[in-house]
Amino acid sequence: MSADLLTQQRSVPPRTEAKLAEESFLTDDLIRQLINVGEVDILVGLPTHNNGKTITPVLQAIQAGILKCFPRERVVIINADGGSRDGTPELITGASIDDVRHAYKLHALRTLHAITTQYGTTPASGPALRTILASADLLRAKACAVISPESSNIDPEWVARLLQPVYRENFDLVLPVYQRHKFEGLLMRQLVYPMTRAIYGWRVREPFATDYAFSGGLGSQFLTDNHWDDEAGHSGPELLLTLTALTRGFRSCQTFLGPKGTSDRGSSDLVPAIRQTVGSLFSSLEPNYPVWSGISGSQALTTIGPESEVTLEPLRVNRKRLREMFCSGVSELQSVFASILMPETLAQLRLLGSCTEDEFRYSEELWVKTVYEFAAAYQKAVISRDHIVQALAPLYRGRIFSFLSENRNATGEMVEANVEGLCSEFERLKPYLLEIWNGGK
Amino acid sequence: MIRDIEVVAPRGHATDSRRPNLLGGDSDSEENRLPIKQDPLWYKDAVVYQVHVRTFQDSNADGIGDFPGLTQKLDYLQELGTTALWLMPFFPSPLRDDGYDIADYRSVHPSYGTLDDFKKFLTGAHERGIRVIIELVLNHTSDQHPWFQESRISRDNPKRDWYVWSETDNRYKGTRIIFLDTEMSNWAWDPISKAYYWHRFFGHQPDLNYDNPAVREEMWQVMKFWLEMGVDGFRLDAVPYLVEREGTNCENLPETHTILKDLRRRLDQEFPGRMLLAEANQWPADLRPYFGDGDEFHMAFHFPLMPRMFMGLKLEDRKPITEILQQTPEIPSSCQWCLFLRNHDELTLEMVTDMERDYMYDVYAHSKGMRLNLGIRRRLAPLLDNDRRRIELMNGMLMSLPGTPIIYYGDEIGMGDNIYLGDRNGVRTPMQWSGGWNAGFSSADPESLYSPVISNPVYGYQAVNVLSQKRSEQSLLSWMQHIIRVRRSTQVFGAGSIEFLYPANHRVLAYIRKLGNEVVLVVNNLSNAAQAVELDLRRYKGQILIEMFGKNLFPRVGDLPYLLTMGPYQFYWFRLRRI
Repeated sequence: MSADLLTQQRSVPPRTEAKLAEESFLTDDLIRQLINVGEVDILVGLPTHNNGKTITPVLQAIQAGILKCFPRERVVIINADGGSRDGTPELITGASIDDVRHAYKLHALRTLHAITTQYGTTPASGPALRTILASADLLRAKACAVISPESSNIDPEWVARLLQPVYRENFDLVLPVYQRHKFEGLLMRQLVYPMTRAIYGWRVREPFATDYAFSGGLGSQFLTDNHWDDEAGHSGPELLLTLTALTRGFRSCQTFLGPKGTSDRGSSDLVPAIRQTVGSLFSSLEPNYPVWSGISGSQALTTIGPESEVTLEPLRVNRKRLREMFCSGVSELQSVFASILMPETLAQLRLLGSCTEDEFRYSEELWVKTVYEFAAAYQKAVISRDHIVQALAPLYRGRIFSFLSENRNATGEMVEANVEGLCSEFERLKPYLLEIWNGGK
Repeated sequence: MIRDIEVVAPRGHATDSRRPNLLGGDSDSEENRLPIKQDPLWYKDAVVYQVHVRTFQDSNADGIGDFPGLTQKLDYLQELGTTALWLMPFFPSPLRDDGYDIADYRSVHPSYGTLDDFKKFLTGAHERGIRVIIELVLNHTSDQHPWFQESRISRDNPKRDWYVWSETDNRYKGTRIIFLDTEMSNWAWDPISKAYYWHRFFGHQPDLNYDNPAVREEMWQVMKFWLEMGVDGFRLDAVPYLVEREGTNCENLPETHTILKDLRRRLDQEFPGRMLLAEANQWPADLRPYFGDGDEFHMAFHFPLMPRMFMGLKLEDRKPITEILQQTPEIPSSCQWCLFLRNHDELTLEMVTDMERDYMYDVYAHSKGMRLNLGIRRRLAPLLDNDRRRIELMNGMLMSLPGTPIIYYGDEIGMGDNIYLGDRNGVRTPMQWSGGWNAGFSSADPESLYSPVISNPVYGYQAVNVLSQKRSEQSLLSWMQHIIRVRRSTQVFGAGSIEFLYPANHRVLAYIRKLGNEVVLVVNNLSNAAQAVELDLRRYKGQILIEMFGKNLFPRVGDLPYLLTMGPYQFYWFRLRRI
């Protein structure tokens, strides 16, 4: 890979009046609360929407982590809420630090603030993150973390693992590495991670993170970037933040957090998840083309703790349903696929649709080509970009069926090896992406 | 509680907002010769000045401060606004613990003068409306005291049982060691007596045996000796440790309280209007019993508050201060807390958590030489980086929080310390009166002074001294005089209730002091940066705020939160008036 492209010097613009004007979307009430908090060393953002079931233990773990690891620092927890109707913000403002002190036997030197603000009436990660970043900028936070309200497995140690590298070791971005079951987080491991790695040249396990930390400098830079009105900026700013750090020379690392809590989202959430993650990834390609088009191969990112950990306990997955949805998708979306995919790719997919369950194998090469062709079609906007991304869902299900079948009895190491193999395939076929991107096919 | 008592008002007091001229030549005028008013609760409104006679003024050129010298400086203390003096031990002593090792309770150390000198000083103080509190160490004596000499010489001696002797050093195992840096045990082997004796402090300070009625009676007679002479009160040192009992930590025992109550009963019977001040470095809840039902001590030091004021300032967060005051129990209406910023000992960190102690060491005593036992041996000004704004803010809180303020000598001019002197001697250097010979403290050869004067370019006597600060109305000394006068313009600070406001801005410490119809709002910005704060004053809607230092009017309180903007480390005292 081209070293010069990966070692660009970061340039953080000074905090200016013009830039601060960008933050005028903050409510007067939030401004008043920020005035009362004053300058802080650390800010923890907690974006929420109807998280009443999980928010209390998550908040307590954050507070305990702060008291334990940053007792001397000025810290504020900012809850950016997207219009919860289950009382989530009230649970945050009503939480007593005394509960944490007693439960964890910790003592607080100074006031630990927790403030809440509503950025809108519908949840969106863009406005939530923008609110958190603007608050961090106004409060001149040196280090910030964003933690998912659904992180039910959160441990107070997460706070230290995420924030210490930023606060004490001058990293600008800290992304998580989780211990996962071999069949969990597949959208990340089958698509987002390997494609991001191949495109941008860094082995980032969770480029679309929900628990992460960043420096005030990176936050300020990202805040001023004019992407908040884009679809990706609205629904997937986390990935854009990662890419901003990777492409502009901000020091980044990964840190092992342990098991990630599983949400109770069902398969019906797949399409929104694909739109959010894959849509953001695809939309990032065009503006960053000058950066990624010159990169080949990939390099490891500094990782604190294990780079991955896979658990193997039995997990019931309805594989049959996945293949059925693939087959019906291939059949029903023929015309859509025809406008997106190369003829030979589409032909192979049609063939797969007629395979028996035993014969079905969605190869790595075919999967990578499928994804790359979707990315190129997205750039060319052959049809509605949103439709393009949604159309990937049935094909992804077919790929997952294959992965589950092939790895039913695999060990953790074998699963990791397979993921690594897929990553290599994404890297090997990157010239193919460039070719179709530039209209060679 | 409102008391129908007229406060003694030295010159320039009452509603006169002009700063008096400290160089005024009329300090000996009749106006200043005000007698002590009869006020049984005088200590609640007092402004106490703590001084060791040795450190203040040397009158006979022997290099050691003395009572005639102190008497010469009474005008200065009166002009400052002091209403009471607390004198550290001045009794005959081998001075192995700066006089806290007393060898004779009924006399004056020859270096400091004579008993007659003391009486003259006492009269002079009273003539200026200044009460005198002397220090008495009840718990222990010097090992040079004749009582101990008799006690150790024979097991049959009548004084044998005046101290706590033991054949072994295994008794009272649950008792902590206070001077961790120097003492390995609370027992010391006496080779003469061939037995162990009990000591809670240094090994040369054997504890008296308060289970012995003769000891109790004798110590009352000692107190009576000084009371009959006219002293106004005692600071009783190390009172939690009078009695020992197996299976306890030998602190705050009921038997100790019984003894103290008996002393108080005798005091009230024979010397009404005199005062007892407890030195008990304990948590507020453990201190509360020392007030009894208003029948034990009149006053006690609030030890845990002081480090938290420093902590709150450094953290820029009111939490440590409000937290400890919330934990402070109510005390009888006739009782009072004593507040201080610094004193002759190290800034004690016994009453803080380990985490808080580590923090305090890191931010206030980065050098090991600044630390002693569980504390920091530094003066106020160096602790606050000689930052005038912080010094004023801390004094503002000292003067406005509930209690009687104590000013440690020299802190009113921002004196520095000398951490290269051993033990706590670094904060006990000669008072700096002028930029001349020995800082104006003594005409002796500099080499013969009991302690070198501070001479570094920042805190040295050429830069920091009374004479130069008298010449400026903007000096710290003039400012201290002003704030003392404002404090003394009302009884609300000494006797009023306190109610904390909790504005959302945690860098601002705000409270209401109230006494009868008099209401004072105090707002302190603990931050190094300007702050905006909104105060909920709706209860006082319609009232006008009058800033107490400049007497300027501030807007009337309305329905909206009362918005104040404050500069770095700024504080306001507002009198609320309904007009």
